[in-house]
Amino acid sequence: MKRRLWFSLIATVVAVIAALAGNIATNNEPILGLDLQGGLSVILAPEDGATGDDLLVVRDLVRSSLERSGVAEPDVRVQGSNIVVDLPGVKDKEEALRSVSVSGIVELRSVVNFNECAASPAPAVPTDETIAEGRVLDSDGTITVDGDPTGEVTPPVDEESIGFLNDEAKTSFRRSAPDPDAPVETDAPAETDAPAETDAPAETDAPADTLAPADSVPADGTEPVAEVPLDLAPTLAPSITGAEFLPTLDGNALCAGPSQASGEVFARDSASVQLGQFGQFSVSVDLRGDGEASWNSLATQCFNRLPSCPSTGVDTDGSARPGQIAIVLDGIVQSAPVVNVPVFDGSVSITGSFTQDEADQLSDVLNRGAFPVQVTPQETRTVSASAGGDSLRAAIIAGLIGLALVLAFLLAYYRWLALVIIGGLTVWAMAVYSAAAFVSGATNYALSLAGVTGIIVAIGVTVDSYVVFFERMKDEIRNGRTLRNAAPRSFNSTWRTIWSADLVSIIGALILFSLSVGSVRGFALYLGITTVCDLFVCFFFTRPAVLLIARSKFMVGKRAFGLEVATS
Amino acid sequence: MSRGDQIASTALGRLFRGQTAIDFYGRRRVGFIIAVVVIIATIGSLFTRGLDLGLDFEGGDAWDIPASQTFGVDEAKAVLEDNGVPTNGARIQRRSSDTNDLITVQIEEVTQANADQITAAFAEAAGVGTDEVNFSFTSSTWGGEITDKAVRALIIFLIIVSIFISIRFEWRMALAALAAMAHDVVVVVGVYTVFGFEVTPGTVIAFLTILGYSLYDTIVVFDRVRENEGKYAGIRMPYEDIVNISMNQVLMRSINTSISSVIPVVSLLLIGSGLLGAVTLREFGLALLIGMISGIYSSIFVATPLLAGFKSNVGRKPRRERLTGDKLRAAVIGSGVTGRLATTGASVDAGSTARSGSHDDDVKTAAVLQPVGQLLTHPPRPRKKKRR
Repeated sequence: MKRRLWFSLIATVVAVIAALAGNIATNNEPILGLDLQGGLSVILAPEDGATGDDLLVVRDLVRSSLERSGVAEPDVRVQGSNIVVDLPGVKDKEEALRSVSVSGIVELRSVVNFNECAASPAPAVPTDETIAEGRVLDSDGTITVDGDPTGEVTPPVDEESIGFLNDEAKTSFRRSAPDPDAPVETDAPAETDAPAETDAPAETDAPADTLAPADSVPADGTEPVAEVPLDLAPTLAPSITGAEFLPTLDGNALCAGPSQASGEVFARDSASVQLGQFGQFSVSVDLRGDGEASWNSLATQCFNRLPSCPSTGVDTDGSARPGQIAIVLDGIVQSAPVVNVPVFDGSVSITGSFTQDEADQLSDVLNRGAFPVQVTPQETRTVSASAGGDSLRAAIIAGLIGLALVLAFLLAYYRWLALVIIGGLTVWAMAVYSAAAFVSGATNYALSLAGVTGIIVAIGVTVDSYVVFFERMKDEIRNGRTLRNAAPRSFNSTWRTIWSADLVSIIGALILFSLSVGSVRGFALYLGITTVCDLFVCFFFTRPAVLLIARSKFMVGKRAFGLEVATS
Repeated sequence: MSRGDQIASTALGRLFRGQTAIDFYGRRRVGFIIAVVVIIATIGSLFTRGLDLGLDFEGGDAWDIPASQTFGVDEAKAVLEDNGVPTNGARIQRRSSDTNDLITVQIEEVTQANADQITAAFAEAAGVGTDEVNFSFTSSTWGGEITDKAVRALIIFLIIVSIFISIRFEWRMALAALAAMAHDVVVVVGVYTVFGFEVTPGTVIAFLTILGYSLYDTIVVFDRVRENEGKYAGIRMPYEDIVNISMNQVLMRSINTSISSVIPVVSLLLIGSGLLGAVTLREFGLALLIGMISGIYSSIFVATPLLAGFKSNVGRKPRRERLTGDKLRAAVIGSGVTGRLATTGASVDAGSTARSGSHDDDVKTAAVLQPVGQLLTHPPRPRKKKRR
């Protein structure tokens, strides 16, 4: 028992010192917030004609994109006609620019026949035959027809479709990929293509519209669904202006008509990924009240296979399939679902053989699609601390003085036992610092002035563990127990109390961290860190320290709690 | 033997030795009245004065002024002060890139005339033409979305904490703890509205800190109530007595903890914002200070009496009036930590006769009321057999 206590005590001290030394050696410091340290600022300029409301919407979208991408507690606001994004803890301009390149408007376009794109810069006039060929996106961003047709037409394994979320439209439709997929990417460029990657960083190897892999292709995999049925094929002459080839995520291309609506038809932040009952992922998104009409207008065209949104394939039963809507972000088709109902009411569900990553990405795109205007980063600037450079110093000095006073008080009150508190608080402070430095490095959470004062408040809560413990011991001793007897008993009951009370803080920290954003999240993080460190120090340092002292002759004849400790 | 075998003659001495016998429950109305007054004052002030939401919530005006050797953050601050703009809520930053170097000043919205005046003052101070000072409006950074998410998270937190407390303790305690927490938040909001302090994102964090602190403190107190509840389960002790005994027992802990928690905050307030001049710390420190004091106060004067109120109609009716004075003191000391009522030879005899007789309540009560000296003359029995 005694050896275990010594082990716990020494191991804790060694571990905490090692963690601290490790952080100091690797120069790992907590990131300080904008108010304490400043950071980098990026100015985003909107395109012409943006209204103030547009900018406010963009502000919220930029902020939530930043949060999603792990940049914590940015300060995003509209100033004048620009959007100013202040990023804490970002030191390098490239990084700052990269993290704010979250803009991009989602366009909704109909998918039209390839011949419509003849007038577009695409080098080859597509025919039904070339449809079968894999198309790849060249590194310069133009679309070329792969000169090496694979000769294999994979069936359009009806993968993706849009339907209602509610049951009444369960008959929804499947959505198929826009064009047959080249089964294997023989041309590498598409994979490493820069434009495609910047917009879809997570997706370099997992195209959202991927058709089913070969093993899921039916045996009669030559079903020529990708060909446009003759009776439905419009004249070969281009009849739609504004049609152009657009690359898809998997390196193919499809011919999209003019943009008919933007991602603004979707309610902000409403897209989410669902897991269907057969384990398939789907993405659902709500339509905004004022966006429903434009979405439905497009959907109706496609459902009715109007020339502006013709059928691009046949269904499994051989009938002409409804048209597809291409969801385009920055010129790249993210998904092109077939429309299975003419009119949508409130929400849209896109189903298909997504992997979870693909579904997540599509959902991100739909959320991001709510950008009402295009914004482009203009300039980066360094920003000085807003709270005045001396605030942190003042807070730290004041905190230390406060701590010294607390320790003086405890020393006067608990006498010799206060040594344990001093040791415990030192270990606690080192643990909190190490954890904060580590978490900052891993997650980008910045320590703001509010966080610093939160930690100062946490001193009180931490000291409370000792107070509860020692007051209990005082009662026990006053009632005639020896110190040796009183210490473990007191610890057991104290531990129950502290554990219950701290658990509430930990629950709060977890919930606030996972559900909220911005500085509230930063607060939750530091609340969690200080509380966990409190529990840790209480069990692994305070307990062995006090129990060992209680067993030793150290306290004999010494004063503690204003009582003389009797010989045991 | 310790020196605790005599009742100290002074109040402080009794407090120090854990021998207080304050009838907290009997004074519960004082606590309730204060709470009600504070809540009414806050609500009244909220309606009439509202909260002064800061730059981050409401947006304001912004100036970009070219920085130079002679014009920096401090100078910009001086200009604001000269023009009678409070610099407390202002955000003054230096923003520099390779091509330009600006001082950006953001303040809460002022009238157009004032804005023009300030523009001119900035231009003069920076030694540039007014056309080089760029004036614009600035939006809030704390969008409604952040508030929505925070509120949602908070509600979920409170629900889960209520469930946790209901499981760990009981639902009445959860209710009382939440009431005390609400009380503390109202107190702090009241301070902000009555004194017209500016609400910043830091303030929101202060609210959350106080909320957490209040729950923490209440649970520590309830834990002792819970423990005593178990100890007295057999003798139909009125709940008010249990509450009173528990309160007196944790009083010293509450005072010590308050002192230890409040000292750093006071230091933040006096040294940080007073001596070192970090004004941003002032209102924040004040909010925390008041919130923490309120948190400690509400655990004892709001949460626990409320709990006793909730519990008073539960279970069998107690057979006697609640203990006060020396009787309460005896109970506070006697049941301190041993978990047993002291039973001297006499009371054991009495107990054995009573067991066969009517009810043992009076007997046990009598045991509680043993003279203190007698109570403490012998050490606790070794607990080997029987129930704890």
